[in-house]
Amino acid sequence: MMEAQPIYWTHYVATCLFALGLLGFLIRKNAITVLMCLELMLNAANLILVELSMRTGTPDGIIMVVFVITVAAAEVAVGLGIVLNLYRLKETVELDAFKSLQG
Amino acid sequence: MTGLEWIILLSKLLVIYLTIVHVVPIMIWVERKGAALIQDRPGPNRVGPFGLLQPVADALKFLVKEDPIPNSVNRVLYAMGPFMTLVPASLIVAVLPVGDFFEVQGKSYFMQIADINVGLLYLLSISSLGIYGILFGGWASNNKYSLMGAMRSASQIISYEIPLGLAAVGAVTVYGTFSLREMALGQEGTFLAVLPRWGVFMQPIGFLVFFISAFAETNRLPFDLPETEGELVAGFHTEYGSMKFATYFMAEYMNMATISGLMTTLYFGGWHLPYLTDATLLGWLGGQRNLLAVLQFLIFFFQSCCLPAHFRLGALDGAAFPL
Amino acid sequence: MKELFFIFFSLYTIAAALGVVLAKNPVYSAFSLILSFFGLSALYVMWGATFIGMIQILVYTGAIVVLFVFVVMLLDLGSVVTDHSHSWLTVMVSAIAVWFFSLLMLRTFNHTPLVAPATPLAESNTRLISQLLFTEYLWPFEILSIFLLALIIAIYALTRPDAADKRKVHP
Repeated sequence: MMEAQPIYWTHYVATCLFALGLLGFLIRKNAITVLMCLELMLNAANLILVELSMRTGTPDGIIMVVFVITVAAAEVAVGLGIVLNLYRLKETVELDAFKSLQG
Repeated sequence: MTGLEWIILLSKLLVIYLTIVHVVPIMIWVERKGAALIQDRPGPNRVGPFGLLQPVADALKFLVKEDPIPNSVNRVLYAMGPFMTLVPASLIVAVLPVGDFFEVQGKSYFMQIADINVGLLYLLSISSLGIYGILFGGWASNNKYSLMGAMRSASQIISYEIPLGLAAVGAVTVYGTFSLREMALGQEGTFLAVLPRWGVFMQPIGFLVFFISAFAETNRLPFDLPETEGELVAGFHTEYGSMKFATYFMAEYMNMATISGLMTTLYFGGWHLPYLTDATLLGWLGGQRNLLAVLQFLIFFFQSCCLPAHFRLGALDGAAFPL
Repeated sequence: MKELFFIFFSLYTIAAALGVVLAKNPVYSAFSLILSFFGLSALYVMWGATFIGMIQILVYTGAIVVLFVFVVMLLDLGSVVTDHSHSWLTVMVSAIAVWFFSLLMLRTFNHTPLVAPATPLAESNTRLISQLLFTEYLWPFEILSIFLLALIIAIYALTRPDAADKRKVHP
């Protein structure tokens, strides 16, 4: 089933997703959108892990994905807590407003 | 897949799905008439004998009434809100086993639209998607009260997903599989030749937890906070007009039907009648039996929808934690 | 046929990811994120990893994005749409950095040979995964549970309401 589909197709897709996530992470100013692009990057990694795991018949990749998903959920929760605190400080979550350590 | 298999799949799809859809007007009638009888008032009695055509009148009203779209709403998400609740409610129907199997030309087909080997996980994940219809619908209405109602309803659903999932995991541990058909198969026969081997007798506490969480998941009383009339106008569907409001209601009733179907599958033997042994004949009868069991549960729901107690807001989520 | 499905779902996922990156309103970004997770889950199920496909919807779409949407709605970030007009220099540099990084990743992938035998994993892999989680991967599993406990404490410490005044910046 999977042998028909060349493996580098998945690599292209995952690289595309990762690149889009990275671009969004660097460009966007809203802190929440930045966190969402971070999730995109994690999912690109998950895609490769699952695909290789299913292709070679070892379940280790899938277990790694379980851990990655759990840790991603954890990190999103903490990140959103930090964003909430940023909002309490400055009434906005635009990353440009947090410049007190600049210069 | 051959043509015959396509025909069988499509007919299974239509029969099972349309049954659940058609149960909705029956539920509307039972709720209003039953609540009226318990509360010692006549209830709908103008349209048809005993008000039996009342759901038809409701449906006609919703179809014909003007569907107003307020100016300040976010058009895209406003229009999509009701369907984001309806689609998960409909998708859950795909894994509920309605009966055992039937044989056509020597091959046996399951009475279930799709027997996935992770059926219960599928069900839990799709039912957690129903939150988005409420959240996006309430937000897109551009109305602080809708948003508050939406957040309250969504937080209630999320809190009670955990006990729901844990009770379901209890059932998984007992039957050793995620597939709903195999869980129902594991409940045939009797237990010490006295009780049927149903889930409710193997796991009474799990059943209790599941029962309470099911009420909370579908916003029925006593978890009726999103619809309290005294506090918020109508909750998250304040700004919704006729057909979109009807879609939200239909989705809510379909959710009720599917969760009671799940409850029957996990705890009441699926399609197994109490003391009869398994036979292919039972497979034919079994389809109707599961629907009877589903209706049995819906009657439970309606009896308790007349209880006057609402939880206080903080107490609701606080109750979820010990549960 | 499977290749058609793969192409369709991967293009769908990439389109939704574009929606996440380009949408100005964070609510639309969250919605596009849900769509892209669906596409990924479809790919996982297509490959036979049904457990991960369902876990992806359950955890990512059903919990993580709900967190995002809750925060966006609580802080009312959807109504005040911030303008993301950058100087073209920033955009240029970011795009070039991303392009270099992708090239690097692609070169790494295409030079790594696949040595393991191509025997695909069985369909019902939930049992196998759960067995492995409790035998070979027990140590990371237990550490993860302690980690989650630490996480809950950390989040509570971060978002306590009564300590908010002490964290305000004094003018």
